[in-house]
Amino acid sequence: MSLHIESAKPEAGTPRARISLGIALAFIVIAIVVFCALFGASIAPDSPFTQRLEVGDAPPSGQFLAGTDLLGRDVFSRVIYGAWTALVGPLVVAVGAWVIATVLGLLSGYLGGMVDSATMRWVDFMLALPAPLIAIVVVGVVGGGYWTAVLVLIILFTAPDTRIVRSAVLEQRPRPYIDAARALGISKTRILFVHILPNVLPIVLAYVVLDFAFALVNLAGLSFLGLGVEPGTPDWGRMLFENRTILFTNPVALLLPAFMIILTAVSMNLIGDWLFERLTR
Amino acid sequence: MMRSGVLRLILVRLAVAVPLLLVISFGVFSLVHMAPGDPVRALLGTRPSDPETLAALRERYHLDDPLVVQYGKWLGQVLQGDLGRSINGNRLVLSSIKERAGVTIYLLLVSTAIVLAAGIALGMLAAFRRGGRLDRFVVMFGVFGISSPAFVTGIFLLYVFGVVLGWFPTFGAGRGFLDRFWHLTLPSLALALSIMAIVVKITRASMIEVMDRDYVAFARARGVSTTRITLSYILRNALIPVVTAGGIIVIGFLANAIYVEVTFALPGLGSLIVDSVQRRDIPLIQGTTLVLACFVVLVNLLVDVIYTLIDPRIRFSRVES
Amino acid sequence: MTAIASVTTSQPLPLLRVRDLTISAGGHAITTGTNLELARGETIAIVGESGSGKSLTAKAIARLLPPAVTAAGSISYDGQDLMALPEREMRQIRGRRLSMMLQDPFTMLNPLMKSGLHIAEMLRDRPEFRDRTAMNAEVARRLGEVGITDPDVAERMPFQLSGGMSQRVAMAAALARDPELLIADEPSTALDVTTQAEIIALLKRVQKKRGMSLILITHNLRLAFSTCDRIYVMYAGSLLEVGSARAVEDDPFHPYTLGLLLSEPPAEKRVARLIAIRGQVPRADEVAGRCTFADRCDWAKDKCRAGMPPLIEQAPGRFGACIRRNEIAAEMRDLRGAALETATVALSAPPSDKPLLRAANIVKEYSGRSGTVVRALKGVSIEIGPGESVGLVGESGSGKTTLGRTLVGLETPTSGAIEIAGIGASKFSAMSAVDRTATRRTIQMVFQDPYSTLNPRHSVRRSLTEALRTIGRFTKAERDARVAELLREVSLPESYAERRPSSLSGGERQRVSIARSLAVNPKILVCDEPVSALDVSVQAQILNLFKRLQQELGLSYLFITHDLAVVRQVADRIYVLYLGEIVEQGSAEEVIARPKHPYTQRLISSIPR
Repeated sequence: MSLHIESAKPEAGTPRARISLGIALAFIVIAIVVFCALFGASIAPDSPFTQRLEVGDAPPSGQFLAGTDLLGRDVFSRVIYGAWTALVGPLVVAVGAWVIATVLGLLSGYLGGMVDSATMRWVDFMLALPAPLIAIVVVGVVGGGYWTAVLVLIILFTAPDTRIVRSAVLEQRPRPYIDAARALGISKTRILFVHILPNVLPIVLAYVVLDFAFALVNLAGLSFLGLGVEPGTPDWGRMLFENRTILFTNPVALLLPAFMIILTAVSMNLIGDWLFERLTR
Repeated sequence: MMRSGVLRLILVRLAVAVPLLLVISFGVFSLVHMAPGDPVRALLGTRPSDPETLAALRERYHLDDPLVVQYGKWLGQVLQGDLGRSINGNRLVLSSIKERAGVTIYLLLVSTAIVLAAGIALGMLAAFRRGGRLDRFVVMFGVFGISSPAFVTGIFLLYVFGVVLGWFPTFGAGRGFLDRFWHLTLPSLALALSIMAIVVKITRASMIEVMDRDYVAFARARGVSTTRITLSYILRNALIPVVTAGGIIVIGFLANAIYVEVTFALPGLGSLIVDSVQRRDIPLIQGTTLVLACFVVLVNLLVDVIYTLIDPRIRFSRVES
Repeated sequence: MTAIASVTTSQPLPLLRVRDLTISAGGHAITTGTNLELARGETIAIVGESGSGKSLTAKAIARLLPPAVTAAGSISYDGQDLMALPEREMRQIRGRRLSMMLQDPFTMLNPLMKSGLHIAEMLRDRPEFRDRTAMNAEVARRLGEVGITDPDVAERMPFQLSGGMSQRVAMAAALARDPELLIADEPSTALDVTTQAEIIALLKRVQKKRGMSLILITHNLRLAFSTCDRIYVMYAGSLLEVGSARAVEDDPFHPYTLGLLLSEPPAEKRVARLIAIRGQVPRADEVAGRCTFADRCDWAKDKCRAGMPPLIEQAPGRFGACIRRNEIAAEMRDLRGAALETATVALSAPPSDKPLLRAANIVKEYSGRSGTVVRALKGVSIEIGPGESVGLVGESGSGKTTLGRTLVGLETPTSGAIEIAGIGASKFSAMSAVDRTATRRTIQMVFQDPYSTLNPRHSVRRSLTEALRTIGRFTKAERDARVAELLREVSLPESYAERRPSSLSGGERQRVSIARSLAVNPKILVCDEPVSALDVSVQAQILNLFKRLQQELGLSYLFITHDLAVVRQVADRIYVLYLGEIVEQGSAEEVIARPKHPYTQRLISSIPR
């Protein structure tokens, strides 16, 4: 599922005009999603769990802004509550994968030798795996839902991320300022953390944000296949899975969570591209 | 000289691919057998759990042997072309796969065609009109495409063209060529759109990079014709990163094909694997995973060969070394 | 033929006439009002430092400016206004009537195309070469013209060619449609010294034989004098001086031209101090509306800044843009005369019998692809005395950088012995911590690339204190005082301590990097091409700094360079390194005046003269 990671590398010559306006909107979207995740309980008009079998899958109305699902639950409230799983899991995946990848990448890139070849062999192996398939099978068979999915994604994301950190380190390593530090007798640890790390961190930071977007999409995908969160959890991906059958009766029950997935992922991707541009040149 | 280089490359890659497939299949095998819950229960499915049936199952799946021995026996059968029988419906796994493969292959072929044609063309156009309105649109399309997986795109396509406009059916794969075409248009489009974004993005970025290269400026300075510069200088060099990303793209196709098949309720390999996982149908999980993994590994091998053919630097250095 | 006929008429129509060419990008002017003329069969040079706008001027003539850069003015080529031509017609002109070569030979050829095809594709539209054998014969003939006799080269891919070879193939491709004008943008700069001379000689030979016009874009004034009929001196986007090569060389009209001439270190003698131009090259829009050189000119008066002095004819065929020309001509001549007469100064230190550094039989091997062993150094022995400055001269691939890195412990020699200040330092990792620290404090290194020699995330103060903390603990006051002192030593204001490398010029970064290596009070500095990436005017400043530091601090230098003129200015003794072996050594004067080894002789004859 680490599918887009490297291909999503922000590109040169992205039109400027888009950035300022788009970035402002992206930050606003993320702020709203974060607000919903933290204070969903106080702003949601209704409990996301209250079932009204007599109402069923009703289209939007004054009482239910986005209508109700098959069990008569308020779709709008469920979407607000869904912000929580849309934020926490991706955040843990992105930060977790990058913490591991940064340590591994720094060590293998700077130390070289056995450490490097062992790490790279592992990375090559992981990259040759049909990752999405593995994720589906592992999460499906092992069970454990959301957090198993988070763990599997961390493992799958770590490999390509390690490669990115390593190549960033390799880019810095032959530079004269590193040679100068070595010639001065500055210790390896200090070179690694005081000299190389600050030059690699901006890249990592931008990629954390980009990874967040991929993790969101992938976690939603697993939930959509019925493999992620527990049944009944208000989660955008899970809502797509549960409401597939009511496309004709209350399409909003599908379109709204689908729209939220895209909106959040697009915002994170825009912010990631923008950070990359700002921090690395 | 060139042929032997490519041949050697294929052999080297196969030497890596075979152990990889073994590791994947063994991983899935042991995962399924060590997962929480008694495998016999899972294998039993909906049949009554009398002691005789249980014993028969233990016997048939060699469950009393150590895991490695079980795997060896399973592998032996697989090599003879026997993937076992599914628990639900007790059908040959291989025939289930054969039956389902058609839809998936069709989906992949059509969407690959769309992605290669439209993706590369759009990326090129955007790069040529860099900074212009079309370029901005394409960049935005790229961000949206990468942010929306096929199941989300699929739902929007379904709603607009299936529900609101009613132009296309909302589920099933259809029978006969025309009907199938009609049924699979939206799914192919959903699959293509989600992958196209990556191809467009890489093509655009690498075109822009190549257009700034000295050899392009030098070709212009010599008055080389525009067509020739575009094809032999820019496009040929710009496509190398696209081919290099082939592996990522193939895996992307597979992941999104699974989503698309589930979204549109199509009887393909993707929905087969999801079904089997949801029902914990062990033989079916193992068989389908193995076939899909083989597919990915083989396509990656093909991508590698193409890459070697178009980039002489790789070819020559491999041959010389 | 016709070219000669038209030159002999009383009012020859120039082949190329550029009027008021102004190039700008994003509203900022890059060049202002350039006028330029070129006769048939003539060779001119546009000389300038980085940022002068010389390359963009050349690109503007061929109408090959990058998309964001625009040009205004008129470019009349053989009576036709190129600026008014639609791109479609311009394409017919390029290659057939005027052609262009670029600087970097390694990026100029299509990496996916055989080198012969670069020539063949230019000839395809000619019916006589339809036939494959005829085409191959023609490609071979064209390669022969640029001195490539090996028929196999046409079949090779660009990445299999050396720099000089690529540049030759590129030249043949640029000339394939027999243009009347070739624009060569720094065609030799990226090459080794000896290859440089070969390429320039080849270019000149081809130009003569074809009766072609040539525009040479270069930063090297000496190269321009030796190759071209007339010189255009460009600085920060405007022309400051135009004239015949001989006249400009003998008597430069503009203080900048004089400054450039004086900044060039002479190879034939060692001077106490180079006469450097102060400050650094500005951007064109920083100095718009006045004499662009005024801020760095010793003769500048208020009137120089009142407006931009026009380029006017100050003597027949000689143009200058200095309004004080007549007032200062005598002073300029005196300065030049004084510089020419400066005598060679004596050695900075008498040879001592106890060397500070001794390296014996150093061998360094790398494992190449698939088990092959590359021998970068094949048993090299050198000595450096206390206070002595030693030059290590060689081209790329000679192993000179490897040797320097080995001495400071960045590489470990495969075999051989190194002794620094009495401590065995062949293998840094095997030394005791005390010895290693002592050695690190004895020998330090200054690197070539000013743009990556400093950690981009650290301020100048941080870079210097990082170095200081390797020699002990200091209080903040002590640290600050030492940082200030170090900056003073390299002639930088104290306020620079808070700057980031990105806000420093190349020369300033190199000063900071020298200060960093001085932080530990070393006795030996290994300087790896420390001035080769700098502009000539800045290079002279840094060379002067090296000279001054040696006197003040009694430093020893190992000065690694490809440039004999540079080494002549700083080195007492010279080692010449060729393919991993020392082929000649001796006093700088002796080696340069009377080279014995054929390779040294070739190096010296390659200096443009």
